[in-house]
Amino acid sequence: MTAVELLEIEKAFGPTAVVKKLSLSVREGELVALLGPSGCGKTTTLRMIAGLERPDRGRVLLSGQLVDDGATFVAPERRGLGMVFQSYAIWPHKTVFENVAYPLRLKRPTDVAGAVKQALGWVRLEAFGERRPHQLSGGQLQRVALARALVGAPKVLLLDEPLSNLDVALREELRGEIASLRAKLGTTMILVTHDQAEALALADRVAVMNRGVIEQLAPPDVVYREPATPFVAGFVGGANVLDGEVRDASFVSHGVTFPLPAGTAAQAGPGTLVVRAEDVHLGDGGPALPLEARLFMGSATEFRLALGASVLRATGPAALEARPGQAVTVRFGRAQLFSRRGT
Amino acid sequence: MTRVLPGALAALLLATVFVPLGLLLARSGGSGDWLEAWRSPESRHALAGTLLTSGGASAIALALGVPFAWLIARTDVAARGALRTVVTLPSAIPPYLWTMGWIALANPRSGWLTLVVGRERLDVYGTAGIAFVLGTSALPLVVLATAAALERIDPGLEEAARLSGAGAFTTFRDVTLPLIAPATLSGGALVFVFASASFGVPYLLGVPANPPAPTLTTRIYAEVLMGEAGLARAASLSVQLLLVAVGVLAVNAFLSRAGRVRLSRGKGGSARVTALGPWRWPLSSLAWATAVAVIVLPLLAIFLTGLMPTWGQWGRLTLEHWSLVLQPRTLAAAGASALLGALAALLVGALGLAVAITRRRWLETLADAPSALPGTVLALALLVAFSRDVRFIAFERVTFVLALGNTLWLVLLSYVVKHLALGVRAASDALAQADLSLAEAARLSGAGRLRAFVDGVLPQLHGALVGAALLTFLTCVSELTMSVLLVPTGGDVLGTLLFELQSYADPASAAVIASALLLVVLSALVVQNVVARRAEARG
Repeated sequence: MTAVELLEIEKAFGPTAVVKKLSLSVREGELVALLGPSGCGKTTTLRMIAGLERPDRGRVLLSGQLVDDGATFVAPERRGLGMVFQSYAIWPHKTVFENVAYPLRLKRPTDVAGAVKQALGWVRLEAFGERRPHQLSGGQLQRVALARALVGAPKVLLLDEPLSNLDVALREELRGEIASLRAKLGTTMILVTHDQAEALALADRVAVMNRGVIEQLAPPDVVYREPATPFVAGFVGGANVLDGEVRDASFVSHGVTFPLPAGTAAQAGPGTLVVRAEDVHLGDGGPALPLEARLFMGSATEFRLALGASVLRATGPAALEARPGQAVTVRFGRAQLFSRRGT
Repeated sequence: MTRVLPGALAALLLATVFVPLGLLLARSGGSGDWLEAWRSPESRHALAGTLLTSGGASAIALALGVPFAWLIARTDVAARGALRTVVTLPSAIPPYLWTMGWIALANPRSGWLTLVVGRERLDVYGTAGIAFVLGTSALPLVVLATAAALERIDPGLEEAARLSGAGAFTTFRDVTLPLIAPATLSGGALVFVFASASFGVPYLLGVPANPPAPTLTTRIYAEVLMGEAGLARAASLSVQLLLVAVGVLAVNAFLSRAGRVRLSRGKGGSARVTALGPWRWPLSSLAWATAVAVIVLPLLAIFLTGLMPTWGQWGRLTLEHWSLVLQPRTLAAAGASALLGALAALLVGALGLAVAITRRRWLETLADAPSALPGTVLALALLVAFSRDVRFIAFERVTFVLALGNTLWLVLLSYVVKHLALGVRAASDALAQADLSLAEAARLSGAGRLRAFVDGVLPQLHGALVGAALLTFLTCVSELTMSVLLVPTGGDVLGTLLFELQSYADPASAAVIASALLLVVLSALVVQNVVARRAEARG
């Protein structure tokens, strides 16, 4: 069953088209991540699902029911959704308990206190009910926001960059908590993020967005291994994206000829070659490029090689003997070619 | 220099504000005398009048101000920018001018509105009228505070309520209102302080009322007019006025602290505009009709009174009264006001900058404090302290005689002290935002301390200081409350001249001078707007 269905929705702010003919359907119980750089339209898409923004054209359906098609409009408060905001949006004039109880108070169910206690338990804040928001840390505030969004058993939970205001350690902790909560409650979720690690770790399917369109919608491993476009390749996993030309089973970019790895589908003519940093093998034959810098990153070391005016990034063992200024040979273990016909 | 400056400024403030205030308290007698004086029926009547008119003014400003603020800050009400300009206009216009307009509109015998609804049905004189005029002329205090709070709320807070199942109205009641409440109530408290310190409005509307509606300020004025014996009673009443102001300001300080906590989170500045939909035209019409009725109409009445002495005689519009503007007495008063205003503006800017660059919090607080004093109290303190010459004897030989009593210098002193906070706050805020690395860069380029300040920092403060000076000038040019007590006998400033013409002699002539004053204020506002917009375009 489809929990959320977007049919060719479009949205422009003034002259700028933010979302262009976007269609997406999210199955019940699924977690779909909308991943993309800022300004790609992912938050606007989420806000149109919530009803906080109206699409200029197209239709929005929730559980098969039409909620917005221009004429029909179901207000956000009647859509039965939960939402977590980037700014936490915890009401400063209410206690933690009152914040979480608010959605229930509006529905008048029987046992508010019990339900709030349970929801605070989900996010491990049972003891914090009487606290005031200004007494909590950012991570705690965001957990309150999660409890408040989940307490009313929403059909879909919308998460708008929920972790991006937190520092790295907290972000990882809360990411884990969202995953466990989902396993426990089975709630359908839509997560907006610009952090590819977050999207890949949490989502069943990732929708990579760029300039108002979904460039690829696929499970995380597929998005990572088989990017559909050079943009997806560059944005997810931070692959090298080289413009150049295919000539005789080789790729020429910035005047350097790289032999194409065996099995690369190649067609003569201009193209874009996508190579992940971990697929660039150093000191193993091939053309030599000058090393610009080496960055120790903990589990690996990043080597930056000069390729014309641009940079080719490779990850390799820290043990590799190479100093900036020296030339290092480069071989591509795996690569993906996108031909650019007609451009 | 940096070590001498704070001390010198503090000494100046002590000598011109705090010592006189002490002398005033001493003059009002011991605590036994206070209680005695406070128990007298006149005194209690005056205190009740002040509390009633000020409370009423706050209530009116809140009732009108909150809806206006919401419409301006959050909705697509028709001609939003123009509506904001109109409802914030009163802050630039002295309250007694509104009074003159309302007397023309709603006096019980011949007011233009009275004639519409029926003679004696409308009466601007008395407690209700005072509260109404004070409340509408203090409207910007509530509107600006509330609109700023509405604009600063993190939109997510309201959206979270919608997603929780609350409709638009419930969201406003449960989230928006509690969040803006501290700022709004603090605006209301400032209206109370403003109203309790006001003199022109309760004098023009309370004294001729039947029965008379005295307030502390008008009562103090009456006592001062009685001379030496009245002065002690006036001093004792001014202690009450001071306590009212201090009490309300303490509440206000508490509220603004609460407000900061509530609005501190979130990015703000991105408040979303609510489309009013089918309500847009009904609400816009209502808002504009109200704004026109309480703001445009009284101003129009002033202009028309100057042109048409008897209402309804449209055929007899005349500029005859305008020739009055050119009379020597009017010109002398205008000249004195302009000169005093300009000097006060200059001094407020310079002293404000001096206080701010010392970066001493205690000194800023000291310089801020007089602005909270009711003008009547400040003027009375100066009157008590400087009515006799003050002699300074230095090195046991040289004697300076400071003879300020009964001169315009004392008026200037009161203007500067009262408005010093404008300069201090402007300079201090601008300094806090200024990029001090520019001065550091100048020093590293080889400039000395002073040169680095002049080249690196001063240009960044320029706009704020000019704004403060302009505001000081505009307020002082039409100042009444302190002038009426301090202007030497036989002399005039614009405020006192207007006041005298309106209350004793010739309302039509008063209306002409008021119109001229309004034209000056309005054109200054236009100039200020243009300058600000140009600065914005450049920045």
